[in-house]
Formats: sequence, structure tokens, C-alpha cells
Amino acid sequence: MENAQLVGLARQATLRRQLDLIANNIANVNTNGFKAQTLLLEETRQPQASADSFLTPDRPISFVIDDANLYDFQPGQMMQTGNPTDLALDGKGWFVIQTAQGERFTRNGSFAINNEGRLVTRDGDTVLTDAGPLTLAPNEQTPTIAADGTISTNQGVRGKLRVVDFANPGELKKIGETLFEGQNPQPATLPRVVQGQIEKSNVRAVVELTRMIAVGRAYESVAKWMQDANDLRRNAIEKLATVN
Amino acid sequence: MKALHIAASGMMAQELNVELISNNIANMRTTGFKRQRADFQDLLYQNLRQVGSQASDAGNVLPTGVQIGSGVRTAATPRIMSQGTVESTEKELDIAIRGEGFFRILLPDGRTAYTRDGSFERDATGQIVTANGYALDPAITVPVNATGLTISPQGAVSAVVGTATTATVLGQIQIARFVNKTGLEAIGDNLYLETASSGAAQLANPGDEAYGQLLQNHLEIANVNPVSEISDLIAAQRAYEMNSRVIRAADEMMSATIQFK
Repeated sequence: MENAQLVGLARQATLRRQLDLIANNIANVNTNGFKAQTLLLEETRQPQASADSFLTPDRPISFVIDDANLYDFQPGQMMQTGNPTDLALDGKGWFVIQTAQGERFTRNGSFAINNEGRLVTRDGDTVLTDAGPLTLAPNEQTPTIAADGTISTNQGVRGKLRVVDFANPGELKKIGETLFEGQNPQPATLPRVVQGQIEKSNVRAVVELTRMIAVGRAYESVAKWMQDANDLRRNAIEKLATVN
Repeated sequence: MKALHIAASGMMAQELNVELISNNIANMRTTGFKRQRADFQDLLYQNLRQVGSQASDAGNVLPTGVQIGSGVRTAATPRIMSQGTVESTEKELDIAIRGEGFFRILLPDGRTAYTRDGSFERDATGQIVTANGYALDPAITVPVNATGLTISPQGAVSAVVGTATTATVLGQIQIARFVNKTGLEAIGDNLYLETASSGAAQLANPGDEAYGQLLQNHLEIANVNPVSEISDLIAAQRAYEMNSRVIRAADEMMSATIQFK
């Protein structure tokens, strides 16, 4: 009898995490370069080692666990901003950002030029080029960035943006601030850099809302049958405990 | 429940977004105004199953983990310093800057401010001042009997004084540039102050390399595009509503748990 309650609890725990994930996707519906996540659920059978040689063998029960989250790496919508330091990547690839903890990767191209003349993120971390950080002189005009990532100013060609890609983007790890952590970046093939545009969040609001409704209803129905199972047990105890 | 806090952070972010958009729309007709936008970032992630950790004794490694974020925050409200539309005003002391640069203004408290608002006036002594009466720096005084005031694209202010037959140069307007002009601090009144992140002002005459030219009898109006602001406003409002739906869903789930007996 308790097994039904335990299976229900397992489902409710995963549903709560699913709602957390949906909430995070919806909260970031306007975050540039944000990539939506979904939860991958899996069946686990208990007991793992069963004693099935008895007359009444152990019967396995299926529980649910959240095994992994999948990233939706589809590109977000492109928005024209008119800001020359806003960059978007058309196709696969990641900008490389130098942080205090090492190289990090982002699709959020909302960059700025800081007081030292460096191209930086909104947190002040340097955007890397093929030759490392690029420092513009004070009298240089706002750079023009060509489709292949070449940065030029009125002083001529100054460098090329570093754009990388990963063999398995699923191994990337979100660390917040729209940055990802990843191993073994490889130079991306044919990334097209678009200046004056920004990649918006790829959260699809309708999908998230439908998922949210489904999660809410599933949670209620689990709560309902857990209640039913509980009532059944209470009835049984009351009836069996009655003498005469 | 975490979802409640996450959705609350989303609602707060959209509230700020609406505030910025309304300020942009309110300043749609403000001379030299530069619109702002909100840049959001996701918050820290909680790792429930670490990516790349060992999944079994056989040495299988998890290809993906379980990570749940904690919501959203506003990272910056960058100012878009693009050129605004230039309008003809037929007023001799209206000056627009075509290209980069800011006029330098001396504040009454001795500080120097910078502006793109070129609607200047003459005060009682003939000095060129802003609409608020702050002096243009370097100071230029136009004599009472001057006629035909002309400002060249390179910033030379000249006029015919008295009964003279040729124009005399009264002064030279200089403009300032910053390495990071988005790092300027807005103080209202269309004025900006230099900050540590903007870098020091670099003065030059208009028309020098990388500096904009001047255009007399014209004003630069705000670079606010009403259509995109309204669509941003609708998007922000919808995002706010969606976050409130999440709060309701989380609340309903909690109440399903509480009613369990």
C-alpha cells in the first residue's frame, strides 16, 4: 500500500522541479541569448535485485526520476538594436569570454566598449578575439565587425572575433549571467557575425505555458490519487479494527 | 517553492523593463535624448546532478546533468547612443552634432557636463548658454550688435559685428568624445557626467578625425522609435503576465499539498 504513496511522492518531487525549470524559462523570456531547458524524466525500477524464485516473487515498481535536463539550442529571435556593439551569431557557435575563472561561452552579444577601449560583456568581462583581448585606442571610431568576425576601425583591421563550437553541446553547463562552461572548444565553422542585432531568448512562451498547465494538472491528479489511496487505507483500518 | 521566487524575480525584471520603456516614450520629443534598454541575465544554477559525473561503476559519465536556475536579474540598462533624427528649426543657435561627440557645458557648481542637446540661447551678457542658462565651454560671447551669426561645420562661430563689412570669428566650439560613451552618467536636464567607466573626455574641434561635424539651424531629437517601444512594452507586459501565471500554478500546487490529509 505504501508503495503507491512513494511512487506518488517521486512524481510530485519531479513535477515541482519541472515547475522550477519552467519558471526559470519564463522569467528569462526577455534575457538576451538565453537557452531554454527541459527536464528529461526516466523510469527506475525498484527493487533492482529481485527475489523472483519464491512462490510470490518480488514485483518491481516503477518510480520516476529526473535524469537530465536538455538544452534547447535553437537560435532565439534576432532583434535589430542599432547599437554597433551588439553582436549576434547566425548559426552555430559561441562567443568566448575571459572571466576571472577562465574562458566561458555565451550567445548573449550585448557587448560594450569599456573605458580601456576593450570589448566587454555587461559584467565587464573581456570578449576574446583570435589574438586574445583587443584594446582600441581612444581616438578610434566604433568598430565595424564583418560577417566573418573581422573587427576594423578607422585604424584598419584590428583583429577577428573568436567564435567556437562544441562537439557535444549537451555537456555545456550553465553558470548564470548567460554564460556557459564547457570543455574542448573548437573553432566554429562558418559563423556569421551580425552587427547591430542581438539574439533574444529562445523561450517559446506558449510551449512553456502549456507545459506549466500540464505540470499543474498532473500534480493535482497525483495529489488526488494519493488522497484516494490514503482514504482506502483509513477505511480498511477502521473496518478491520471494528470488533462486533 | 523555488518557482515562486523565480517567477517573482521575473515579474520584478519586467516591471523595471516597463519603467525604462515608459521613460523612453516620455522623452520621445526630448532634444538629444538617448533611449535605454534593459539587459537581463539568468541567475546562478543549482546542480542537482552534476554534468560529467560518474553514472555507474562501469565508468559511464553523465552526458547531461540536472540544473535548475534561480531566475533573472537586470544586468545593465545600456543607453543606445545612436544618432537621432535631425530636424530643421531655423534658429541660429540650434546646433546638431552629425556623428560622435558631446558639447561641453560648465555647471554652476564648477563641474563639467556633456550634452547632445544643441538648443543654445544667448544670456543677458551675450554668452552662449543652454536652455537652463549653463555656459557652453569654452565660453563664446556674441556682441549685441552682431548680425548673421554663422557656425561652421568645424565649430567656428562668426558674425558681422557693427558696421564691419566682413565677418569676424567670435570663438570656437569644441566637442568631447569618450572611449565608452555608454558609460556616461545621466543626471537629467539632457546632461551627462564623466565617470570612471566612460574614460576621460577627449576634446577636439568638430570635424576632426572620428569627431562629428556641426549643423547650424538644426536640432537632434530623441533616438526613440515609438513603434519598437510600444512593441517592447507589449512584450514586457505579456512576460509579466506569464510570470504571474507561474506564481498561480505554484500556488495551486502548494494548495494541493496542503489540502492533503
